[in-house]
Amino acid sequence: MALLQIGDPISMPTPIGIDLGTTHSLVAWVTPTGGAVAIQNCDSEVLVPSVVHYREDGGVVVGTGAMAQALDHPEATIASAKRLMGRGADDPETKRLGSYRYASDEGPVVKFDVGGGKVVTPIEVSAEILRELKNRAIDDLGDVGAAVITVPAYFDDAQRQATKDAAKLAGLDVLRLLNEPTAAALAYGLASKENGVFAVYDLGGGTFDITILVLDDGVFQVKSTGGDSQLGGDDLDRALAGVFLEDLAYADGSEVPSNIARALLSGARRVKHALSDVEVVDAEIELPDGRKVERRITRADFDALVAPIIKRTGVACRRALRDAGLSKDDIDGVILVGGATRTPIVRSYVAEVFGKEALASIDPDQVVALGAAQQADLLGGESRRDDVLLLDVLPLSLGLETMGGVAEKILPRNTAIPVAAAQVFTTYADDQTGFDLHVVQGERELVEDCRSLARFTLKGIPPMAAGLARLEVRFEVNADGMLSVSAQEQRTGIHQEVEVKPSYGLTDDQIEAMLLDAYEHGGDDVAKRMLREQQVDAARVLSSIEGALGADAALLEEGEEARIREAMKRLSDAAAESTDHRVIASRIEELDELSTPFAGRRMDRSILDALRGRAIGAIEDETKDAKGVETHLAEEAEKYAQERQDS
Amino acid sequence: MGLPARYGIDLKELEVRYRELSRVLHPDKHAHKPAGERRISLGKAVEVNEAYRILKDDLARATALLALDGHVVAEGEGAPSDPMFLMEVMELREELSEARSAKDLDRVGALGEKVTAMRRATTAQMATAFDGPEPGGAGREHAELKALVGRLRYYRRFMDEVDVIEEEALG
Repeated sequence: MALLQIGDPISMPTPIGIDLGTTHSLVAWVTPTGGAVAIQNCDSEVLVPSVVHYREDGGVVVGTGAMAQALDHPEATIASAKRLMGRGADDPETKRLGSYRYASDEGPVVKFDVGGGKVVTPIEVSAEILRELKNRAIDDLGDVGAAVITVPAYFDDAQRQATKDAAKLAGLDVLRLLNEPTAAALAYGLASKENGVFAVYDLGGGTFDITILVLDDGVFQVKSTGGDSQLGGDDLDRALAGVFLEDLAYADGSEVPSNIARALLSGARRVKHALSDVEVVDAEIELPDGRKVERRITRADFDALVAPIIKRTGVACRRALRDAGLSKDDIDGVILVGGATRTPIVRSYVAEVFGKEALASIDPDQVVALGAAQQADLLGGESRRDDVLLLDVLPLSLGLETMGGVAEKILPRNTAIPVAAAQVFTTYADDQTGFDLHVVQGERELVEDCRSLARFTLKGIPPMAAGLARLEVRFEVNADGMLSVSAQEQRTGIHQEVEVKPSYGLTDDQIEAMLLDAYEHGGDDVAKRMLREQQVDAARVLSSIEGALGADAALLEEGEEARIREAMKRLSDAAAESTDHRVIASRIEELDELSTPFAGRRMDRSILDALRGRAIGAIEDETKDAKGVETHLAEEAEKYAQERQDS
Repeated sequence: MGLPARYGIDLKELEVRYRELSRVLHPDKHAHKPAGERRISLGKAVEVNEAYRILKDDLARATALLALDGHVVAEGEGAPSDPMFLMEVMELREELSEARSAKDLDRVGALGEKVTAMRRATTAQMATAFDGPEPGGAGREHAELKALVGRLRYYRRFMDEVDVIEEEALG
C-alpha cells in the first residue's frame, strides 16, 4: 500500500521516561520486548546525582563529578534545585535551603550566583540535569524522542510549569508530566497485573506524596493524592546534622559556613544510611576546617529524632484515604517509593498507618523512572498497548480570590482530569468596567495562604449598575494537570483567555533567549529537527486515518471517503518530497479538518458501545436518554452555582 | 453516564461506567490521532469527568437532582432549625476548636471521623426521601430534602475546617 510506505524510512525515535529527582535523577526506556529498563552510564551507574557544578571557565559538570566539587566550591555547586522550582526569591523555602549565594537582582525568580558573574535559575539547573540524561539516552539508544517527566503529585501549577520550561531548555519535547506515585503504580501494576486498591507512599529526598489508586484491568484510576512538597529524606539528614552541630559550639543564630553545613549534611546522610542496616553507628565527620565531629548514634536515638517528621506524613495519608472515600482496610497493597523509604522507622510507620506490610520488590530508587518509561511508550511509542490507561486527578484545589481575600474553590482537589468548571461572578460597584481576577491554588481559606498563580483583568465592560454584569470564569485543566482560565462577560460577550503562566515562571521571551543561547552553543539544527518531526507526525496521522477508514466505512457519508483520500494523497506527497516543514504542517491541518466530522461520528459510536457494554440489555434510546440526564445534571449544577453567586 | 436520575446511585456502578467511558474517550487514547479527533475526545472526556464529579459527591448530587425538579437551593436556604441538631453541631464545633488550640491532631482526626459517620447517616435519609416516592421523583417532599441539604452543608463545612487545621499542621 503506497500510502503507508512513507512511514517506513522514518524509524520512530525512542520515547524515554525521566525521573527528575531532588537528590538524584535517572532515565529509562521500554525495550522492544516490552520491559522497562534504566539506562546506565559507562561506569554502570544508573542514578545521576541531581547536582550541577558551574566551573570557573564556564563549563558545566553534572552528577557525580559535580558532587565531588561540592565541598570545595559550595556556592558554584547546586544541589536540590528541585526544591526551588517555581518558587519566589522571598519564599521561606528559599531561605531554608541556606548554603547558597543568591543573586539579588530584580525579578521574582530565585537565582543562584555561581561565581564568575554567572547567575542561574533553578530551571536552568534542572535543564542541565535533563540535558545530561538526554545525552546518556542518546549514547545508548541513538535517537531519542519525546519524554515523560515525573513530578511530585503535590507539585502546584507553578512548579509544573517550571519543570516544563526546564525540559524546553534542554531541548526535550514533553509527552506528559506524570505524577511520581502514579508512575510507580504503573510500574508495579504492569508487573503484577493484579487488580485492587493500592496506596503509594513516596518519600523522596525533598518531597512526600501519598496516592490512593484503583487498578482495574489495565485502567489505573487515581482516587486521591496528597502530600507535602517540602518534606523529605533531606529533612531527616538535616535533623541529624543539627545534632552534630551541637558539638561545634556555634552561638544560636550565628551563621554556619556553607562548607561546614555541607560536610555535616553529607555526614548525616551516611549515618542515616548506615543505620538502616545496623543498630549503632560511631559517626566521625571530618570538617573542611580540620575539626572533627565524633558522636555515637543509635537507631533508637535517630528514630526518636525523626519521629515527628515521619509522623507528619500520617496526616496526609489519612486525608488521602478520606478523600478517596476509603478506610485503611480497603487497601490491598502499599507500594514504597523513594530512597528514604529504606529507613526502618519509615517502613514500620507505614505498616502502622495502613495496617499492612509494604511492597518494595522494585528498587524504590528506580521504580518511578521505569513507570515513566512505560507511560512514554504508551503515549509516544510504536508498540501500542491498547489496554493501559492512566486516569489522574488534580492534586490541589484551584480557585479565585473573592471579596475579603477569601479563596473560592472552583475545582476541588482530587477532581478527575481533564476537567472544566465555570462560575459566575458579578460586579460590586456601579459602572465598574474591569474585573480583576486572581487565580490561586491551595486548600487554605485565605488567599494569602494559597499559592498565587496568575492575575489578569477583564476590561472594556460597558458601564452598568452593580450586580448586573454576569462574568463567567471558566477553568480548564488538561490531562497534564495544567490550567488555563478564560473569562467572559455574558451580556456583552467580551472574552479573554489566559494560559496561566505562574508569577514565578519564566517569560516566553526569557525562554526564547535561553534557547537561542543553547542552540548557539549546542549547534542543534532546528530546521532539520522540525522537518523530521512533521514527517513523523504525517506518518502517524496517515496511518491513523487509514485504519479508521478501514474499520468504520459504514460511518462514512456519500463522497466523504474520496475527499479524505484525496487529502491523504496530498499529505503523503508533501511528506515524501517537501523540505519545508510548514508545507507538511498545513497539509496535516487540511486533512485533519476534513476528517474531523468522521472522527466525531466514530467517537459517538464508541460512547454508545461503552455504555451498552455495561448496561446489559439497554437499548440505544435508553442510553441516549441517560446521556441527556447527565448533561442536564451538569447544566443544572452550573445554574445552581450561579444562583449561589447571585444571592 | 447511563445511570437513572435518582439519589441512591450505585457508586460502584458509577466507578465502573466512569472507567469504561474513559477507556474510549480519554485523550491519551487518542494521542496519535489527528488534532480534530483529539479535540473531540478532550471535550467529551471533560464532560464525563464533570458528570462523574457531580454524581459521586453527595451534596452536589442532591442539589443537582433538586434543580432537576425545579428547586434550586440557594446558599442559606434549608438551614436546619432543629434545636437538637444545632446543639449537637455547636458542641462538635467547640470540641474542634479546643482540639485546634491544643494542636491535638489525633482528636481532630477522630472528630472528622465522627462527623463523616453522621454525614453518611444523612445521605441514607436523603436517599429514602429522594427515591422512596414514586420513580421519577413525583411526590418528593422538597422542603424536607432542602433541610437535609442544609445538614449536609453543615457537615461539609465542618470537614473543610478539619482539612484546614490539618493543612496548617502540615505547614
